[in-house]
Amino acid sequence: MQKEELIQNVGETPVAPAAKRSDSIHDDTTAKIFIASSVSYFVIVGLVALIIAAKFSMPSFLGSVQYLTYGRMRPLHVNGMLFGWLLAADMGLMFYVVPRLCGVKLWSEKLGIATGILWNAIILGAVVSLVMGWNQGLEYAELPTLLDVGVVVAWIMFGANIFGTIATRKYNAMYVSLWYAMGTILWTAFVYLTGNFATLFTTGVNQANLNWMYVHNAVGLIFTPVGLAIAYYFIPRVSNNPLYSHKLSMIGFWSLAFVYVWTGAHHMLHGPISQWLQTITIVFSVMLLIPVWAAVYNFISTMRGQWHQLRENVSLKFLMSGVVFYLLTCFQGPMHSLRAVNAIVSKTDWIPGHAHMAVLGAFSFFAIAGTYHVVPLIFKTKLYSEALANWSFWLFLIGGLGFFVTLWLGGFWQGWQWNNPAIPFIDTVVALKPVWHVRLGSGFLMFGGIITFAYNILATILGPKGEEMEANVAVA
Amino acid sequence: MTDYTYPSVYFAYFFFFIVFSGAAFFFFKTYKQGYFGKDSEEAKHRMLDDEMGGDYGRKQK
Repeated sequence: MQKEELIQNVGETPVAPAAKRSDSIHDDTTAKIFIASSVSYFVIVGLVALIIAAKFSMPSFLGSVQYLTYGRMRPLHVNGMLFGWLLAADMGLMFYVVPRLCGVKLWSEKLGIATGILWNAIILGAVVSLVMGWNQGLEYAELPTLLDVGVVVAWIMFGANIFGTIATRKYNAMYVSLWYAMGTILWTAFVYLTGNFATLFTTGVNQANLNWMYVHNAVGLIFTPVGLAIAYYFIPRVSNNPLYSHKLSMIGFWSLAFVYVWTGAHHMLHGPISQWLQTITIVFSVMLLIPVWAAVYNFISTMRGQWHQLRENVSLKFLMSGVVFYLLTCFQGPMHSLRAVNAIVSKTDWIPGHAHMAVLGAFSFFAIAGTYHVVPLIFKTKLYSEALANWSFWLFLIGGLGFFVTLWLGGFWQGWQWNNPAIPFIDTVVALKPVWHVRLGSGFLMFGGIITFAYNILATILGPKGEEMEANVAVA
Repeated sequence: MTDYTYPSVYFAYFFFFIVFSGAAFFFFKTYKQGYFGKDSEEAKHRMLDDEMGGDYGRKQK
C-alpha cells in the first residue's frame, strides 16, 4: 500500500496491526511507579475532599480534632490533588508517552525510579507537614521550604530524563505532545521558583500579585500544557484516528506560550494594583480563547466520523468530556477577567467551581483516560472491569456537573449579595447552605468515581498477567 | 523580615523576559524548520505507529 493511500484511509482502518505485547522495547517501570502511587493518593486525598465538603454543611464536623480542622485539611486537599494525584499521574503518563513518540527507550530508567521514590517521599512529607500545621500560608505554595527544594530537585531529575529521551529521538520532526512536554518542564521550573521562593521575600500587594501569578500559572503553565500533551497523544491513539491538523496544534502551542504567562493578575482586579496591569491581564486573558479554540477545534475535528466509538470506549468518554470541560472552563476564565463580571464572582464560590472544572473536569479526566489506556498495556494484562470503568465515568461526570454548576450559580448569588451593603455578611453565609449541601452530595458521587477508578486500576495491576491471564481465558 | 520586594519583582520581570524571548526564539526556529509548512503533518501519522516502540507499525505495513 502506498503511503499516501495509507494516510487517506487512516481514519477508517487501523494504522498498525495490534502488536504482541511482549514486543515492546519499553521497560515502563518508572511509569508504573508514578501511576500506581498517584492513583493511591487520589483515594486518600479524595477522602480529605469529602471531609472538607462535609465541614461546609456541618461546620462542627471533626472540628475539635486539631489535625482535622479546615485550615489543615484544605491545603492537604489542594496540594495532595495537585502534586500527589494529578502531577504524579501526568508525569507517569509522560514517562510512557515521550519514549514512544521518540521511538527510543527512556533515557534512564534508574533515574526515573529515583525520581519516583523522591516524589513519593515529598508527598508523604507534605501530608505530615500540612496535617501538623507547618504551612507557609500562601495559596498553592503551602509546603515548607525543605519540601519545595525537594520538588525542584525531583523536577530537575524528571526534566533531565525527558529532555535526554527527546535528545536521542529517532525522528527529527516532533509530535505536538513533545512540544507541550518540554514546555511544561521549562515553564514549571520558572513558575514553581517564583511561587514558592520569590514570594517569600516580598510583602503586601507585591506578594499577593506574585502569588496569584503563580496560582494561575500553576494551572495555565503546568497542568494545561501537560494535560494537552496527554490529550493530543491519547485522543488520536485511543480512537486510532490521526489528529485533524498538526499545524493547527502548533499554532495552539505557540499562542499558549505567548499569552498564558500574563493572565494571573486577573485575580487581583479591583484590588490595589495599577490600572495598566489590570488592563494588560484582561487583554491577555481574553486572548486565551485563541490557543483554547485551536486545541478544542482540533480535538473535535479529529473525532469526525468516529463519535460512535464513545459508546464502547471509556477512555474516549473521559477524553472528550474533558475537552468539553476544557472549553467551558477556558471560556469562564476570560469572562471572569472582565471587570464587570469580576466585580460579582471574584472571591466567591464561583472560583472553586471554575478551578475544579479545570483541574478535575478537564485535566484529571485526561489523566484518568490515559491511565485506563496505559495500565493494561504496561502491566501486560486486560482491564479488570469495563463495567466498573463505565461506572466511574458516570459517577465522575454527574458528581462533577453537580459540583461545578452548583458552585457557579451559588457564586453569582453570593456575589450579588456581597455587592448589596444592606445584607449582613452572616446572612450571605446562611443563604449558601443549600448550595453546600448539593456540593457535599456531588462530592459523594465524585468520591464514588475515585473509588471505582482506583479499585479497577489496582485490581488490574494486581490481577493475572501475560501467560497466566491467557491460561485463565483458555480454561474459561 | 527584610523586604526584598524590588529584587523579587525584578526576578518576576526577568522571568517574563526569559519566557517571552525563549518562546519567540523557538517559535521562529520551528517556523524555519517547517513545522508550519506543507510537510508538517507527517508527525501525526507517525505517532500512531509508536505504541509498542520504534517503527514496529511501519514494518508491518
